[in-house]
Amino acid sequence: MDVIRLKKGHDLALAGKPEQRLVNAGQPARLKIRPGDFTGIKPKLTVKEGEHVKTGSPLFYSKNCPDMFVTAPGAGRIVNIGLGERRSVEEIVIDLDKTESFEEFERCDERSVASLSSGRIKEQLLLSGLWPVIRQRPFSRVADPDRLPKAVFISAMPTAPFSPDTDFLLYHDATGLQTGLSILKKLAGSPVHLVTAKNSSSAPLLQAKDVVLHHFAGPHPAGNVGIHIHHIAPIRNRDDVVWYVALQDVMRIGRLFLKGKYPVDKIVTVGGESVDQRHYVKIRQGMTIGDILWGNKVGKNARLISGDVLTGVQRSADDPLGFYHETVSAIPESAGREFVGWFRPGLRKYSVTNLFLSRLLNNRGTRVDTGMHGSPRVIIPFGNIESVLPMNILPTFLVKMILAEDIDEMEKLGIYECDPEDFALCSFVDASKMEISEIIREGLEYVEKNG
Amino acid sequence: MKGLRKYLDGLSPHFSEGGKWYRFAPLYEMVDTVFYVPGNTTTRAPHVRDAVDMKRSMFTVILALLPALFFGLFNIGYQVDPGSGIVQNLLAGAVAAGPMILVSYAVGGLWELLFAVIRRHDINEGFLVTGLLLPMTLPPEVPLWMVAAGISFGVVIGKEVTGGTGYNVFNPALVARAFIFFAYPGDMTGDHVWSLADDLTAATPLAVAASVEGGDAVSLVTSAGYTVKDMFFGLIPGSVGGTSTLAALFGATVLIVSRIANWRIMAGGLVGMVGASLLANMLAPASQNTMLSLPPLYHFVMGGFAFGIVFMATDPVSAAQTDRGRWIYGILIGVLCVMIRVLNQAFFEGIMLSILLGNAFAPMIDYFVLRQNIAKRQKAYDRQ
Repeated sequence: MDVIRLKKGHDLALAGKPEQRLVNAGQPARLKIRPGDFTGIKPKLTVKEGEHVKTGSPLFYSKNCPDMFVTAPGAGRIVNIGLGERRSVEEIVIDLDKTESFEEFERCDERSVASLSSGRIKEQLLLSGLWPVIRQRPFSRVADPDRLPKAVFISAMPTAPFSPDTDFLLYHDATGLQTGLSILKKLAGSPVHLVTAKNSSSAPLLQAKDVVLHHFAGPHPAGNVGIHIHHIAPIRNRDDVVWYVALQDVMRIGRLFLKGKYPVDKIVTVGGESVDQRHYVKIRQGMTIGDILWGNKVGKNARLISGDVLTGVQRSADDPLGFYHETVSAIPESAGREFVGWFRPGLRKYSVTNLFLSRLLNNRGTRVDTGMHGSPRVIIPFGNIESVLPMNILPTFLVKMILAEDIDEMEKLGIYECDPEDFALCSFVDASKMEISEIIREGLEYVEKNG
Repeated sequence: MKGLRKYLDGLSPHFSEGGKWYRFAPLYEMVDTVFYVPGNTTTRAPHVRDAVDMKRSMFTVILALLPALFFGLFNIGYQVDPGSGIVQNLLAGAVAAGPMILVSYAVGGLWELLFAVIRRHDINEGFLVTGLLLPMTLPPEVPLWMVAAGISFGVVIGKEVTGGTGYNVFNPALVARAFIFFAYPGDMTGDHVWSLADDLTAATPLAVAASVEGGDAVSLVTSAGYTVKDMFFGLIPGSVGGTSTLAALFGATVLIVSRIANWRIMAGGLVGMVGASLLANMLAPASQNTMLSLPPLYHFVMGGFAFGIVFMATDPVSAAQTDRGRWIYGILIGVLCVMIRVLNQAFFEGIMLSILLGNAFAPMIDYFVLRQNIAKRQKAYDRQ
């Protein structure tokens, strides 16, 4: 098997890497669902405050696609529906029952999966609320059920800081993986690309059927699905749809069909300098970060992030973990202003560049906080951002064309292949402190709207 | 240090929006962030950032320039009185070149501030480099008003009129240098060198090599008293910081290891220069042009080639900005430098003009590299 080796990129060496030790999060009192997590779904509520829902009962559907539901990840009473600006639904809170009741979905065993029709699969995924785990590129939104993709991508080698190790996940529970893969293959009718690390030893991955297996090697973002798409089946234009699903969500699809119930569990990691216990936690979807961190000591002045430090969002303990997130990161907030920081040898400064002494020790002993560490400046193309982007894309020029709002050039320079998460390291290393991944996001929005 | 922080924090409201000195916010930003790393934290992903910033990057360029600067100061004194000690020579150099550097920083800084205030952008650290580069490329006897006029032209015309730092087409320090070169040709033709001793007005090695038709360049240079060793170490009369090839190589090492400058530009420059001069050497027997016979090593150590290719051509903004483009850009400068030196003997010092020409071509080079990148992507699309 060929290995695609990528050189560009960087593995952030942050303190607080999760240990490979799995604990169970306790049963939470309430769950929270944020419609905002589901990019591309305009929510239309089907429940009211005070109503009772079972696990898998619809909470809202998509205005653009009335067949597509998002369902309750737990059984209980809807105690609150938080509304935001212009009465948009921001949060749905469910008080959990003592005993859980489930909506029943069609069940099948591993062998009869093959006889399911793609129409039947689609119907069940849409109805059960599990469809949104399938997302599409370009534009990274919930997949459009009416538009089949040219390929499906599953990354089994996340490289983002603190993200769960695939081999560890599968060692604990690999049920539903093969079923999920077969279902996706049937549903999409196009190749399912399963990308693993060069050194992966997981039998369920290496022996998976109905997939095209690929091996990638290299530093982050080599594990990002956007990088895999770029090297295997690049997105040619805005109508060139590719689907992608997280590995755990593939297993959840499989479990939905094997058990006939909405699968609520997933394993996430807790990491970062600011938490005491860094480990793997088995949680249920919709749990708040506070519940996930229950029994864990969080340092003073810490920032809680739903997701990894490169792409996640800042959240409080009362907020739920994002629907697609598999990591809770806790890092120290910036500790104030350092005197003549630019002049110091920099033994404790984390940098990808060779401008600080810390580089000699490979950033050992450095601390990373939320400080920007510099003032925003105009683009000076030192080549920093190019050094962490393993794609045949010229980021400096793409950024310039986005700022110039030149759609034609953006398309020629490959904007549809881009996703903000693949450019997160570019924001990280930029000496001008430009928000490169944010600019990429704006560029994508701009071409989507005006292209 | 607490007191300073308090003082700056106390001033901060006056420079914020609505404050009485709001217009001068860039000045406050500059002073405030010179002393203290900005206190702002990330507001969106990524939540962590590299410690690198523009100050550190430009400071590294200054570090890379220091060996050349200090050697240059020493050399100024050395040219007047080789007998006195290192310290005396350094002092003599500092007395001669110090005011030039001060004037360059002061006058250029004023322009920088003026434009920052009017155009409402922050003061960019890149000026620290420009302000030092210009005096280092000038002979030590240049009158101070000329330095002031040059840096004014460089900052205003070379940089600010096209939008300021990051938007300049040409390296501002070279624009300033070229302005002085062309505006005051009587004082600065490049064929004679200045030094502090009034009576000493010698021909530069490049001028010597071109002085006789049909001769042998190497023996002409050698008989004028210039040895390769002296030219390599830089113990010859010349500009403040540009005589020493060794110091330039020192700077090159710092810039390449730190990746502030792109090695491809320097390597391209070297390849272009060696290739073009070898070609010239091959043509030499058929022509009366003495310069044709000058071997690559001499091109390398003579004049400002090393200084220019290391510190001037590598300005990331005015150079080509793609990796392949940087090779082409470097080679172009190397070739042009030799061509100007050999074929256009009105200007002995070819490196300044060749870099400016390279700057002019850089956007076009990038344009073609970009088209190539687009074509390559299209090919990958078609393969599917």
